[in-house]
Amino acid sequence: MSIVHVSDLHREYQQGAVTVKALRGVDLTIEPGEFTALMGPSGSGKTTLLNMIGALDRPTSGKLLVDGKDLASLSSSQLSDLRLHRLGFIFQSYNLIPVLSALENAEFVLQLQGMARDERRKRVRETLAQVGLAGMEDRRPGELSGGQQQRVAVARAIAGKPALVLADEPTANLDSATAQGLIELMEKLNHEHGITFLFATHDPRVMEAAHRVVRMVDGKVAEDLRK
Amino acid sequence: MVVLAMRNLFRNTRRTLITVLAITFGLAMVHLTITLQTGSYADLIRTGVSSMAGHVVVQAKGYQEEKDGDLVLTRTAEISQRLAKAFPEGTIAPRLVLGGLITSPRGSVGAAVSGIDGAAEAKLQEIDEHVVQGTWLTGDARGIVIGRDMADALQVGFGDKVVYMGQHGGATEVSSRLFRVIGIFRMGNADLDGFVAFVDLPAAQEAFGQPDVANQVTVHLPDPNRSPAAAAEARTLLADIDGIEVLDWKQALPELFALIEVDKTSGDVMLFLLGAIVAMGALNTVLMAALERTREFGVMLALGLRPQQLARLILTEGLLLGLMGAGLGLVVGTALSWPLVHYGLDYSAYMGDTYETAGVVLSSVIKGRFNPLRMTTYTIAATFMTAAAAIYPAVQVARLQPVEAMRHT
Repeated sequence: MSIVHVSDLHREYQQGAVTVKALRGVDLTIEPGEFTALMGPSGSGKTTLLNMIGALDRPTSGKLLVDGKDLASLSSSQLSDLRLHRLGFIFQSYNLIPVLSALENAEFVLQLQGMARDERRKRVRETLAQVGLAGMEDRRPGELSGGQQQRVAVARAIAGKPALVLADEPTANLDSATAQGLIELMEKLNHEHGITFLFATHDPRVMEAAHRVVRMVDGKVAEDLRK
Repeated sequence: MVVLAMRNLFRNTRRTLITVLAITFGLAMVHLTITLQTGSYADLIRTGVSSMAGHVVVQAKGYQEEKDGDLVLTRTAEISQRLAKAFPEGTIAPRLVLGGLITSPRGSVGAAVSGIDGAAEAKLQEIDEHVVQGTWLTGDARGIVIGRDMADALQVGFGDKVVYMGQHGGATEVSSRLFRVIGIFRMGNADLDGFVAFVDLPAAQEAFGQPDVANQVTVHLPDPNRSPAAAAEARTLLADIDGIEVLDWKQALPELFALIEVDKTSGDVMLFLLGAIVAMGALNTVLMAALERTREFGVMLALGLRPQQLARLILTEGLLLGLMGAGLGLVVGTALSWPLVHYGLDYSAYMGDTYETAGVVLSSVIKGRFNPLRMTTYTIAATFMTAAAAIYPAVQVARLQPVEAMRHT
């Protein structure tokens, strides 16, 4: 079963008197274990599509199935549950909670899932070690570098063992070496743990690492390239 | 959730501390006011009840409305004995007040002459301690104790003779009786010092022209809260005596009771307004803190936090703010009230030794009294008012859409 199935997806916004057509009939299917990059110029609809798949926004029309569920039929609470249990998010600007330590940030999702403290802590320590942050559990975001913060964000995204991780420009704020390290980390997680990744990115290194590159232009899929 | 809420509050330590201190000092002022109010009400009730009524008041039917001195009980001794037997822990004080004229060779004044049991009243009132010349009532049938101002008006002193004249009990002729001044008191209150005199009850009964009469027989109990139950008990006890009414202190002094209730209510309104102002400060803090974190809330929603959980986080922050402010307010308020309870607030420089409220003469040193029930109630109310101030921000954040919230800068 596909993790994501998008068919003739449209999304229109109203900006004053102007109707902006962000997505104009997107068709896309993502299978489990894929490592896919969505690329395209600014305004091509990458982030909008990622938000739709992430159940953060609702389409104007079209069909959208995530993890086998038709998002149009889900209530707001059911969408929250889908995000909590089946999806992981990595954002461009890390978006960690500044008053929580690396460990507390990474366990945030598990806490919401209701996992027992001991089991939660054990899993988060393992996950932080996986992303190369062993020994930094008690540091707050302000005490970590950009690359380390993004690794915490990755740990947060994968700790709950999601079916799909959505990453919006995850390397955009990182220097070249740090970005390369992060890409390698995500490749490793994909390869060793079978975690499905979908990126929206401009970064050629991400595109190079991706097994599949979907190019978007003017709210449509212009090219779908599998390596 | 609580840990996260607490850490969120101390992201901006200065702002949180200012809000906590505003709640603390607002509530401390409330506790101070409550302590002073409670002390002054207790003093007002104690003095008012002991001098103007009793915890149980037995009087002739109609006396409460008419206040006619001619409406008297006719079996005073028997009523007093029965009450003394029923309430051995209490003090029984029969009273007969005569309105008339006191004259001396050099002047005359209108006066209220109170016929009382001197020994019993000495236990109840402080007037005997204010005798500045001579003695308090000694059981001397010809003795009279008058106020300093009355003595001045009559130009009499200790040992001088005065004559009381009055018309009582439907008599057609004015009766008169000779007294000797055995004591002069000074309360510092013009009404008491100028127009009140005390004589022993038998002497007043003689002046009234009828033995064994009194306007009231009053019972004073160590526990004022027993007043309604004791009045009910006395009603049963004296049910066989016609033409009498038995009241508790609130029925006997309805004006005093109403005055306290009105004062308490208006005080509560003021305290509520003070609480509302403090709560507005808390609302500002929680709202600002919430607006600053709109983007972060968007991320939390994206990660799977439900809007209700986000609202609960904001409410928890408000509740914690309230708990800190109200807890400190209780401590600071109690500490500031302590000197008022032990030393009192001395207004004698502005009001003299005494002042009058609702006909009751009170000491101008107002002593506070802790009121644990009201202090606890206001502390809890302050906590919940602060928590309630977080409802609006909580509702606002619960309406956030993740994508729009994450765009917020």
